[in-house]
Amino acid sequence: MNASAAELFDEARTDEDHLQVALHVEQVAALAYAAAADGPLRGAERAQALRFAEHERRHAAAFETLLFALTVPVRAHAGPEDLDALLPRLIDADRSDALRGLTELEGAAIAGHQLMGRRLLALDALRTVATVMAGGAQHLVVLRHALGQTPLTHTYETGR
Amino acid sequence: MLGVRLSGTENGVVARAGSRLRAGRISRRRFLATAAVLAGALPAGCGRDAARERPPTDAEVFDGLLRRELAAGAAVAGLAGAAAVARQDERHAERLSKVAGSAVAGQLPDPGGDLPGALARKQEGVFAYVDALPQLEDPDLRVLVMRVAASEASHLAALRLAAGGEPVPDAFAGFSGVSAR
Repeated sequence: MNASAAELFDEARTDEDHLQVALHVEQVAALAYAAAADGPLRGAERAQALRFAEHERRHAAAFETLLFALTVPVRAHAGPEDLDALLPRLIDADRSDALRGLTELEGAAIAGHQLMGRRLLALDALRTVATVMAGGAQHLVVLRHALGQTPLTHTYETGR
Repeated sequence: MLGVRLSGTENGVVARAGSRLRAGRISRRRFLATAAVLAGALPAGCGRDAARERPPTDAEVFDGLLRRELAAGAAVAGLAGAAAVARQDERHAERLSKVAGSAVAGQLPDPGGDLPGALARKQEGVFAYVDALPQLEDPDLRVLVMRVAASEASHLAALRLAAGGEPVPDAFAGFSGVSAR
């Protein structure tokens, strides 16, 4: 699991904090998949990374909508420096390291979403959080498969 | 159930509701609910029986989830090459049964054995887990349901992958564009 992303979730205190962190991590994940597609991944894996980058952008949009519902303006958007903070030198990584980095980031996001399940006061928002988490869990299967990891699925998917 | 994209019209509705919220004409909670519906975050009816006099207990919610899990588990149990997924389904059912305190376990539906049927039952299970979350009072049980929901969603991807299909056809694990159930 990506320790930096996990720390961001852990430090959040309010619903707004948690949704801001969730938004940030999804934005970084979109950048990460795009960087992996531009760098170490080739062929079918590159195409899959581009699809997942679009998924992450849609996840981010869902969190943005929830923040808007809380009347929280979203001004900051993750940039290359944020990607480097969570996944340093991804663009220069080899294929395996890139896939491992993406796996750790997805795992941290899933764990963070589950932390939100414990902490969020706005329980109706949990449905959206859970749909994003479920999408991330499916990404994890593809990443584990690409890395040759087994098992692909777990009885309790914690992201770890 | 859940569609997470907003059309331009829907965005306008949210923006107008936001203006009314800032002007103090509607409550923050009402606005949140409105926006969540438009974002696809709230299913119609919230999965609750409107005629109910009291919300379901956590055990009752788990009883409903257990029935879904058993249906999905039975559909997978008949599939070739899905033994690991079937074992995980059994563990889900055991855990759900403990919380529910119900004796549904053991009354397994007939095995399915075909992939489309198994995927459909699994997808229904994921819908049910996500739908249940706001109904649960105990935070530990919410986390448990999220972990099982993530597992079930990953089963869908793994089964599709094993069958040579696109493992993740939807960004939201099947919730995109589903407006009502």
